[in-house]
Amino acid sequence: MTLLDISELTLDLPNGKRLLDGISLTVAEGETVGLVGESGSGKSLTARSVLGLLPSRATMGGSVQLLDQSVLDASRSELLSLRRTRASMIFQDPRAGINPMRTVGDHLTETMRLCEGRSAADAKAVAISLMEAVRLPRPEEHLKQYPHELSGGMLQRVMIAGALTSSPRLLICDEPTTALDVTTQAEIIGVLAEQRESRGMGMLFITHDLNLAAAICDRVYVMSAGRVEEQGDARQVFRNPQAAYTKRLVAATPTIVVARDTASAADAGTDAAGTSTSTATASAAIDGAAPASTEPMLSATGISKTYRRGKEPVRAVIDATIEIPRGGALGVVGESGSGKSTLARMIVGLEQADAGDIRIAGRERTSVPSSRVERLEHARSVQMVFQDPYLSLDPRITAGKAIEDALRLHRRLSTTDARSRVIELLEQVGLGDVHAQARPRTLSGGQRQRVAIARALAIEPDVLVMDEATSALDVSVQAQVLGVVEEIRRERGLTVLFISHDLAVVRRLCDETVVMKTGEIVERGRTIELLGNPQHAYTRLLIDSVPRPDWDLEAVAAEASELEDPVAQN
Amino acid sequence: MTTLRRVAGKLGALLLTLFLASLLVFFSRFLVPGDPVSFLLRGRKPSPEAVAQVTAQYGLDLPPWQQYLNWLTGVLQGDFGRSLQYRQDVSEVIGDRLPVTLLLVVMAGTMIAIVGLTAGIVASLNRGKVLDRSVLIGLTVLGAIPSFVGSIVLIAVFAVQLGWFPSFGSGEGFLDTIYHLVLPSIALAIVFVVLVGKVTRSSMVEQLGREHVEVATSRGLKRGTVIRRHVFRNSIGPILTVSGVLVAGLLVASSIVEAAFGLAGIGTLLVQSVDRLDFPVVQAIVLLIVTAFVVVNAIIDVLEPWIDPRAAAGAGAR
Repeated sequence: MTLLDISELTLDLPNGKRLLDGISLTVAEGETVGLVGESGSGKSLTARSVLGLLPSRATMGGSVQLLDQSVLDASRSELLSLRRTRASMIFQDPRAGINPMRTVGDHLTETMRLCEGRSAADAKAVAISLMEAVRLPRPEEHLKQYPHELSGGMLQRVMIAGALTSSPRLLICDEPTTALDVTTQAEIIGVLAEQRESRGMGMLFITHDLNLAAAICDRVYVMSAGRVEEQGDARQVFRNPQAAYTKRLVAATPTIVVARDTASAADAGTDAAGTSTSTATASAAIDGAAPASTEPMLSATGISKTYRRGKEPVRAVIDATIEIPRGGALGVVGESGSGKSTLARMIVGLEQADAGDIRIAGRERTSVPSSRVERLEHARSVQMVFQDPYLSLDPRITAGKAIEDALRLHRRLSTTDARSRVIELLEQVGLGDVHAQARPRTLSGGQRQRVAIARALAIEPDVLVMDEATSALDVSVQAQVLGVVEEIRRERGLTVLFISHDLAVVRRLCDETVVMKTGEIVERGRTIELLGNPQHAYTRLLIDSVPRPDWDLEAVAAEASELEDPVAQN
Repeated sequence: MTTLRRVAGKLGALLLTLFLASLLVFFSRFLVPGDPVSFLLRGRKPSPEAVAQVTAQYGLDLPPWQQYLNWLTGVLQGDFGRSLQYRQDVSEVIGDRLPVTLLLVVMAGTMIAIVGLTAGIVASLNRGKVLDRSVLIGLTVLGAIPSFVGSIVLIAVFAVQLGWFPSFGSGEGFLDTIYHLVLPSIALAIVFVVLVGKVTRSSMVEQLGREHVEVATSRGLKRGTVIRRHVFRNSIGPILTVSGVLVAGLLVASSIVEAAFGLAGIGTLLVQSVDRLDFPVVQAIVLLIVTAFVVVNAIIDVLEPWIDPRAAAGAGAR
């Protein structure tokens, strides 16, 4: 039976902008349907239209039919009853989605008490049984807790339990695991699948993550710029994409799947990366670009950091030792709270290590620089690219000026020399003259991050630290940025420390990888070897948690990359 | 346990603030030109003996720190000294006038709360629409009217033209006093309504855009319920903070309104006493205002964890 039937849905803003352009999709009972696309594709808007959560001044066209109720011309009370009985929605960020000033118990029982008129005791009993169903450890205790007392994963379970209080027929999930760690994501996905199964609900699952969609959905719709580009059986769509957009998307998606020949080659101890693999992703790993050198470019030996805030001291980094040869790229992988960002901050000189020794190009860089001269020197040896380019660039300064300022801080340059150097740097990251005049507001996310990289490279640092530098970006944009970094490494032998929670991204960029868990490095090695043959249980857990379809995505990726190089798609 | 420790900490900070304020209040006298003795003996040609006698009588011959200690000991026992102009105990002089000012401030405060909150809430719920803009413009215009101008306009229209309210004095008995204070409290409230209104609006608008509000809506809660339980509830913090700061402003601004309406309150007394160098009265009133301000804000601080549970977890969890 069809639960949801959207046909020819359009959404126009008063300024004439068309955000949805003829969307048609259906969800049947017991079916999981994926809605895949990048930011701005209209996937969230489509999902929200099902519950009548639409921008106030938008003009709608087409129809949205939820069971026997038409949503677009539902009256206010019909809309309320539809939200109370037919469909529920789980949002991306539970920390933002649950009122921080009310208790978890209030969130769970609110609709039962205020909409269904159940008694407080009755509502509480239902809430407790739902909390058990989503496997929250201590339901009675959680009822009295506030959101800030729970972890992100637990809160997302609360959100799921909250959405289930109304026994909905359709569950809409809007990127429900994007804000979570990969191991937590696997648990949440498990809970969702279990509940969908036992309740026979239909599920509309919105995600930007192709691998996740491929792993859990029966059918998928691929959206771009307010249109459905392609739809069909999930396996079919990803294995044999027809639309050019889907092909690009598949190609841009990094994967951790290690092709068999690569893995065995790595096992045999031969240098597999970049030579024997035929896959697009693996060939990106660079070697040979690094001239053999005995002294490492970056070496951090036995560094530790303990924060003494609150009751118990937090040991953020414990006796970590890393080394990157000149021109090498080291990935640091771990979940939130693993200490990987603290490690990066100590190397950049934003935090003081409690113990240990940090050397960059042979020079002592352990202590946080205090004087202006020291700061400049430290900055010359290491630069950092931050996660969110929306926050790391000054909105009032043009891209060119931001880079020029960094240049002039370190070298005396005439205005014309500085300007021409700025253009050179922008060209190096695939931007140009026109972008120098642009303020960050007018640039896209990918362009901004490239400006941030150009700024970091302006003073030719020995080491570039990238802290989750592509996590906030769409996959196709991420592919562009990673391409830029690869190219610069190839051309200039840049040494990179790449911090990420995403194994697939690290795999694409880094020769070697260390895995961190609660402040400690638990495993290290060549990236391909580590992924193909993990030794530590935690590494195995990380790898197993990464969603992956049960078919070979590599072949599709290789095929697609022959058609079009994503890096060239600026 | 932690709540108790928090409250104790706040109390300590409160006492320290009051102590520092008392120092400032007392010693500022020595920075101001003018000599209390010559005021006391005004109109006469004092002989040096008379001057010495008055000086000794009021303890003005002692070193400043000794004078401060004497004053502070008295203050702690409720004795603020004797007024130079009224030749009465300061506590009596102030006690006579305090009720009028307190009532004026309470009435104005109630009006500010009702009008300011309503205006802010209405504007925020109609954001970007004509109603929102008219409320904002209205508030801004009101906020630009100085209290004394507002007082005169109110008197001219409602007391003189329409004759609905008295224009002068504070009346006899409780109800009559309230009746007399209607116009003054409106005049006093006008300027502060704009502050509360604008803070309420921006705080509500911020919360309206939050994802948890959309989640609440998506669950089928009525709009009124969502606004009340999730938007307004979460907006209280900033509104309360601003209200705390307003207290001192209200007490000080009341002097202008009291003067315009001929009310015998603390405000007029303060102005008069400054004029006549009646230091004991000035010190007592200033200390009173500071105390009121500090205590109200300390109470708001202590309430913070109930308003925002994240505050109870300390700065680290924010």
